[in-house]
Amino acid sequence: MIASIVDTDALLQVIWVSLLAGVGVPSCFGLALLGTVRAVEFGRNSRPAEAAIFAIVGALGLAVVIASIVFGILTLVND
Amino acid sequence: MGSEIIVVIVVATALIFDFTNGFHDTANVVATSISTRAMPPRIAVGYAAVLNFVGAFISLAVAATVAQDVVEIQPNSIGLLAVFSGLVGAIAWNLITWYFGLPSSSSHALIGGMVGAVFVAEGADAVFFKEGILGKVMIPALVAPLLAFIVGGLAILFLYRIVGRLRPGPVTSGFRFGQVISGGLLALAHGTNDAQKTMGVITLALVANGTIATDDFHVPDWVVISSATAISLGTYVGGWRIIKTMGSRIHKMDSAQGFAAQGAGATVILAASHVGFPLSTTHTISGAVIGSGAAKRLSAVRWGVAGNIVLAWILTLPMAALIGGLTYLVTRIFGTGAVGPIVVSTASVVAAALLYARRSHQAGVPPGIPPAVESS
Repeated sequence: MIASIVDTDALLQVIWVSLLAGVGVPSCFGLALLGTVRAVEFGRNSRPAEAAIFAIVGALGLAVVIASIVFGILTLVND
Repeated sequence: MGSEIIVVIVVATALIFDFTNGFHDTANVVATSISTRAMPPRIAVGYAAVLNFVGAFISLAVAATVAQDVVEIQPNSIGLLAVFSGLVGAIAWNLITWYFGLPSSSSHALIGGMVGAVFVAEGADAVFFKEGILGKVMIPALVAPLLAFIVGGLAILFLYRIVGRLRPGPVTSGFRFGQVISGGLLALAHGTNDAQKTMGVITLALVANGTIATDDFHVPDWVVISSATAISLGTYVGGWRIIKTMGSRIHKMDSAQGFAAQGAGATVILAASHVGFPLSTTHTISGAVIGSGAAKRLSAVRWGVAGNIVLAWILTLPMAALIGGLTYLVTRIFGTGAVGPIVVSTASVVAAALLYARRSHQAGVPPGIPPAVESS
């Protein structure tokens, strides 16, 4: 009954996109923050290998955040 | 000539509604950024106003839903009067709830007003109760705040797990920077969903007037630009009121919570806008704020705010519909020309001014939004 009234595909799309983007993107931002802070700390303690790894984690996290936002806005604009 | 006058009155009324929407909702959009000190108030308000404006241009799916999927307007003077009456019904319900301090939703009021007026004017067949009202308005309106609650809660749990062992100083600074992004997205989302409702209503009026053919639906550029301008001006002007009352009315959240809540609200509203669901942005943002607060500490949440959302959800549509229908009947007393809308508009402006003067005299301070989460 409800399924015939509601546009189930659209509603499910809203749910999965919101969960993925609303949880995933902030988590990636958290990873970017973690990577940056840890990279600075390890750099100060003269541990370049660990600093480099965390710097990569931070850069990847930030890249995913930026890419997700750009992708989301382009998707909205182009439809 | 008479119908042209009605169109002008409808467009002006719709833009005033849009302005008040931005005015009223500024708090929802900027409160978290200001309360966590991610941005100075003046900059936060200006930033939100600009992104509200930009947001109105990025999609037209919600406008199409409001104009095509909720009610069917005939291209005649009856249809035009129905659109006018629906708008007046929405504004009247917003004023009444504002005066008595009852929870409301501008978006639901707008749709409720339209449904009531069209129901009385054109009959039940002109209202798409199942697929339109229930399927595209009521069920998404119920799902969205719950979804934002879950997303906001999960996001903050993940964030605490990821950054929980870091020194608080850089983490706070990092999330404040993040809030510049998430707050911007929230303002963009608000502009997208809310401005489009006004675009939809103005387009309905143009269809009723015969300016746009029923089989050639499109939203004219001037409608998009004027709606975007009205909501962003409302946001900017409303922001000054918020800045004045901010100190005593807005709760404190940590910057991670603010970031998670804004991100959750923005994603739910943007995703819904993409598929054309006209949501209550206020309810969705409140759901996200409550979710991010509840995930940290259940007792920090003012659950009364959640109760208010449920009450508003139940009351707004039928009450705005009732007022919209009554307004149509009153307007028709004066025939199908421009006299009815002129008389009703004038009476509405006088009533609104009296209510505002009385309420301001009683309260002393303009009402703001209630905090959803207590100071942690």
